[in-house]
Amino acid sequence: MFNYRVLAIIKRELREKLFSKAFIILTLLVPGMIFIFGGVQALLYSTESKGLKFDLVVENRELLEDFQKEFSQQGFVTKKHYVFNYMAMTREDFKIHLQNKKQMIIDEKLTGILFIPASAFKDKKIEYYAKTPQNISLSRELERPINKIFLDIFFKNKSLSTEDLDFARSGVDFTGFKVSKDEKIAQEGYGNLVLSYALSILLYISLLMIGQMAMQSVIEEKGSKIVEVILSSVSAKELMTGKILGSAITGVAQMAVWLGTIFAISSSALIALPPEVTLNIKPELVIYVLLNFFIGLVLFVGLFSMMGAIFDNSQDAASGNMPIMMLIIIPFFIAISMMENPNKPYIEIASLFPFASIIVMPARLALVEVPVWQQVLAVIINLLTIYALFPLAGKIYRIGILRTGKKPKWSEVVKWLKYKY
Amino acid sequence: MYALEVKNLTKTFDKLVAVDNASFEVPEGSIFGLIGRNGAGKTTTIRMMMGIYLPDNGEVVLRGVKVGQEFKNQVGYLPEERGLYKKMKVLETLLYFAEIKGKSGREVHKRAEEYLKRFELYDRRLSKVEDLSKGNQQKLQFISTVLHEPEFIILDEPYSGLDPINTNLLREIIIEMKQKGKVIIFSTHLMDFAEKMCDHIVMIDHGKIILKGSLKEIKSKYSQKNVSLTYDGDISFLKSNPIIDSIADYGNTTGIKLKEANQAQQLLRLLLDKNVTVKKFDANDISLQEIFIELAGHEDNGTNGKEVRNV
Repeated sequence: MFNYRVLAIIKRELREKLFSKAFIILTLLVPGMIFIFGGVQALLYSTESKGLKFDLVVENRELLEDFQKEFSQQGFVTKKHYVFNYMAMTREDFKIHLQNKKQMIIDEKLTGILFIPASAFKDKKIEYYAKTPQNISLSRELERPINKIFLDIFFKNKSLSTEDLDFARSGVDFTGFKVSKDEKIAQEGYGNLVLSYALSILLYISLLMIGQMAMQSVIEEKGSKIVEVILSSVSAKELMTGKILGSAITGVAQMAVWLGTIFAISSSALIALPPEVTLNIKPELVIYVLLNFFIGLVLFVGLFSMMGAIFDNSQDAASGNMPIMMLIIIPFFIAISMMENPNKPYIEIASLFPFASIIVMPARLALVEVPVWQQVLAVIINLLTIYALFPLAGKIYRIGILRTGKKPKWSEVVKWLKYKY
Repeated sequence: MYALEVKNLTKTFDKLVAVDNASFEVPEGSIFGLIGRNGAGKTTTIRMMMGIYLPDNGEVVLRGVKVGQEFKNQVGYLPEERGLYKKMKVLETLLYFAEIKGKSGREVHKRAEEYLKRFELYDRRLSKVEDLSKGNQQKLQFISTVLHEPEFIILDEPYSGLDPINTNLLREIIIEMKQKGKVIIFSTHLMDFAEKMCDHIVMIDHGKIILKGSLKEIKSKYSQKNVSLTYDGDISFLKSNPIIDSIADYGNTTGIKLKEANQAQQLLRLLLDKNVTVKKFDANDISLQEIFIELAGHEDNGTNGKEVRNV
């Protein structure tokens, strides 16, 4: 199976894919782009809430000062994200005030009006009037200081010590500890969550990229008729093997560059990451992810090559390979859903499931302890899937690449399997 | 000794029998023509010989051994629909094609450069294939077919889409290969070329072999029994002659049909003996085209037959 012809094909595939300028640039660009996206998001967040104007209307005139005092100490005021205009009036007057300011709100000269009725000091219900009242970041930021004022006033005449008050004011701090076979139970930050997320995205991107490239390359060979010349020298099986291995090596090399970068950053003393995002990335994890990715890629590229052979052009192939895209997209969403709770029952199954394990298993490994036998099983299941599917995929490939003319129906493709080619 | 024997090849696609029990032999050192109209089964036959298709039945034998990878390595194949990797460079392309035939190293490199010089492509050796003109791409394809010094050269419709210069160039290559003792097999629907170049042919129609053998033998077998004659004098004496089948007067010329094809010389002597002034005596060999039409043309006078005649 593995001979000089396959080797020559692999070499050509690598020259065309791995060592092409476009691929190298893309490979280097993707991590950069992820950073840029993160940066842009942060930038958008900070610019978005700059200098927003609010009216803060309090029904109890005597409490106006409390709000002024408390708010003036908050970051969103000192950094001028929000600008408050404090005033006191009764509900009747507020209604008139709201009417007067309506046009300003609609014209976005005034972002919104917060109304704190007298009743709020019993039921903590306040009102917010704005063009877009559903503003999560606003409510999250204002909740604490307003609650503090409510608490202060509520407990003012109830002779509590400052200590008691501080306790009542404080929220709950949820610290996660990872329980593992290791001796010590380590306090865990968000690092593993970030790692799991990063793995899911990188595996997903690389898989799509390599799969599409492999398919395009088969379509090109078929379309340019070069395949017949090649088949006069090598068998279809050798050609397919060479192409799949070439693509899989390309993908693993790409992943190695990405994971290597993450590993270098996380373990380097030069770039000190804050403790809550420290990545706990072990070399074994990197090696396993690369191996698992290689086997998974072989499986996926085999199917993508088959699709390329069935269709004559990219458009037909793009619609035809939806089922395979689903095999990539669904595991990706499963992997992302793990951020919320990595112990959902379907995740264990998905991480062993053929096709899905290529993304789900690494994402799971980053978050929870996975028994070694499951890690091995995931790879074995993919290998068995290759063993079961490749004779069929190979036959469709062999027949498809020499076919031209109209787009075949799926029923016809199934018929090909019966042909003696 | 045959270089290649094709035995009872059959190939069916769905319900269409593309090649039906085809058997023929390719002698050593020959230029062998596989002749038939479009869709007759030539390409399918060649693909089965190359191992690109598995035959439903039958086998191809190379000097006594069933063909396999060994044969592939010894063949230079130029399919009808040619193709190159557009993004690859010229020299790189040649070396790759040689490499998958098992030939690599300095010697192939040197030979590739020699060919490129000879075909005036040396300056373009580092250009991408897509930047070459179509004619130059064809040249590159020829070089890649013969660079690994194959024993067999299989050309499927080699003249389709070639410009006149490349047509000559390809003919040159074919002759050169023949002089080196290589076996050249080509398929064509162009009878003229087949007649000029081949020494052995096989004619295929609707997947069946309808004629095979050396061109010389075939032509003498089918050669004209008709003589077209322009004369002065009286030829009425011929009417009762036993070698004459029939005589038809066309005005300027007279058509005489002989009973046997080899009696033309006898007829000429007879005319001279009787003092008939022979102005024109045309007993030319039959053309391959005529044989082909006689064998395959009258079956259906539809578009296919016409297509062959028109080209």
